[in-house]
Amino acid sequence: MGEDKAREIMVTARRVWVGMQVLVIALILVFGVRPPQPLVTLGPQRHVETINPKMGVHTRLTDEVEEWKIKRTLEMVREMGAPWIVEYFPWAYYEGEKGIYDWSHPDQVVDHARRQGLTVVARLGYVPEWARPEDSAFSYLDAAHYTDFGDFVYAFVDHFRGRVQYVIIWNEPNLALEWGFQPVNPAEYTALLRIAYARAKEADPQVQVLAGALAPTLAPKGHPEGMNDLDYLQGMYDAGAADVFDILAAHAYGWRFPVDDPPAADKVNFRRVELLRQVMVRNGDDHKPIMVTEGGWNDHPRWTKGVRPYQRIAYTIGAYELAARDWDWCLAVAPYAFRFPRPARSYQDYFTFVTPEFKPKPIYREVQRYARGERGEGW
Amino acid sequence: MVTGRTMRRRAMALLLVVALTITMGTMTACPWLGGKEDRSLVRVRQAGVLRVGLDASYPPFEEIDGATGEIRGFDVDLARELGRRLGVEVEIVNSGWDGLYDALEAGRFDAVISGLVYDPWQTDRVAYSISYFNAGQVLVVREDAREDEEAIAQVGDLKGRTLGVEVGSEGDVQGHELRKRLRDLTLRPYPAPTDVLRAVRQGEVDAGLVDAISARQFIRTEGGVRIVGPPVSDELYVVAVRLEDQALLKAINAALVEMRDDGTLSRLADKWL
Repeated sequence: MGEDKAREIMVTARRVWVGMQVLVIALILVFGVRPPQPLVTLGPQRHVETINPKMGVHTRLTDEVEEWKIKRTLEMVREMGAPWIVEYFPWAYYEGEKGIYDWSHPDQVVDHARRQGLTVVARLGYVPEWARPEDSAFSYLDAAHYTDFGDFVYAFVDHFRGRVQYVIIWNEPNLALEWGFQPVNPAEYTALLRIAYARAKEADPQVQVLAGALAPTLAPKGHPEGMNDLDYLQGMYDAGAADVFDILAAHAYGWRFPVDDPPAADKVNFRRVELLRQVMVRNGDDHKPIMVTEGGWNDHPRWTKGVRPYQRIAYTIGAYELAARDWDWCLAVAPYAFRFPRPARSYQDYFTFVTPEFKPKPIYREVQRYARGERGEGW
Repeated sequence: MVTGRTMRRRAMALLLVVALTITMGTMTACPWLGGKEDRSLVRVRQAGVLRVGLDASYPPFEEIDGATGEIRGFDVDLARELGRRLGVEVEIVNSGWDGLYDALEAGRFDAVISGLVYDPWQTDRVAYSISYFNAGQVLVVREDAREDEEAIAQVGDLKGRTLGVEVGSEGDVQGHELRKRLRDLTLRPYPAPTDVLRAVRQGEVDAGLVDAISARQFIRTEGGVRIVGPPVSDELYVVAVRLEDQALLKAINAALVEMRDDGTLSRLADKWL
């Protein structure tokens, strides 16, 4: 009787144990195994339909993780009618160790962009930790490591040969913030540019190297935070930059001024680009084009540099029109920025055309109507 | 069936978990047991000054007075009142917006009070106070608008009505969203929030959807309209401190609660908005 009872208990215990194992496996299957991810394909080759082939926009896909969001962003750029995008490709993201490259994310961005019929202009910068001293800024690069950047430029251009035909070397080197918090120096930047240009052409003689991307600023001589962009460009020419770039990248922010506000040396407005052009002409570089790779207006309701949303719409469309009508030396105008992966919750959000959730802002719809030729004169 | 032995084992396991939790908590709180002491409030009080970072480019919360060159605004007054309640002076540090969080982390100031909107993405690097102002979108109607069952008291009452919005604004975006779910809602765009609010006052539209700051400023300067219902969206202004400065944050929160309860926050809003 006692043995029977013990056996019965053992059998029950074994059943309970097996039952628990089954339950655990079932729970792992239900909660532990990820369902198959939706497959994102490149889709058919698309083309941008627009009345103005100089329309562009600066995208911010650098930190966009999900492929479908990359694709959707670029679809919306195409649907808006802009054939050009400027995108940031940080060196540190792709060469975490010297000579070891991971192109998986930029491959996604470039391939989706091309499939949407967009031309990619790649901005290169952001120094990896291994190429700079500990606790230095992401923009710090001493001369001893210029060749490391040159190696990266070579690798990038080589990898994207035939897919990316435009590369911008560095960003706003006339600001201390973008020059490792060191005193800015056009000759030093030109030395970096010289190496980058040679390596880019070595990888692909057809690639177009964009230089400058200077921040429009009125900073007086010796200012710790930066140098006047017109002076800086002249400094580049004095250092021999004319031989080492194909296109000047320009940043054209309008702040509170209308798009047609005339340029002046003591004013930062959209048409300040024309003053950069004058510096180029003065230095015998009038055969080279300019590309506006950043710029535009901001419509934060209270920022002192902001305009009303209706003004941003009008000025932005005006900028595209101006480039098409009057600036035969301008290849494209790419305002900053199309969409952020997440809200910045600051004035930065008021530069965008589309929310992080892909809701088009009124400026998106109006620019789209312009690109389709649906708007009358005088907006 | 649970035996007495099993019960004892479970009880022991539970006791062990509780003991471990208490030990870890104590070690975190007690510096002599390996935790890090939070001296943020002591540090500020010993220095006798609370350094507050802001970007003086956002009137009326912070701006540079053209005549005196001094920084003024709602946030400046708020910072000074916080300092008074903490028993310290306040030093205002003007800094570009894009570097505010970095400068806070680097110790250039103790707190950021700069129309800063709560951002869940930043909570791994800074700690936020309770909100002291909500700058989200609000619904505005004529001051003498009816208050019966036909009244507009919230967005759900906008069916079949005309809503004024600033073209291209957040109100415009939200108005388009509302139109998807509210039958016969008509949107009428205007160039600026003041134009929307004047249209409300003149009866051109049944209501307007604008940000709380524009609405309050219009009510103070021109009048003839009033805000109804809760905010349609939230844009919560908060104070930020370094993540580890919990003692300072606790003191700031206590002061903000006091300021809310004794009417100081309302008076500041009335003064600047």
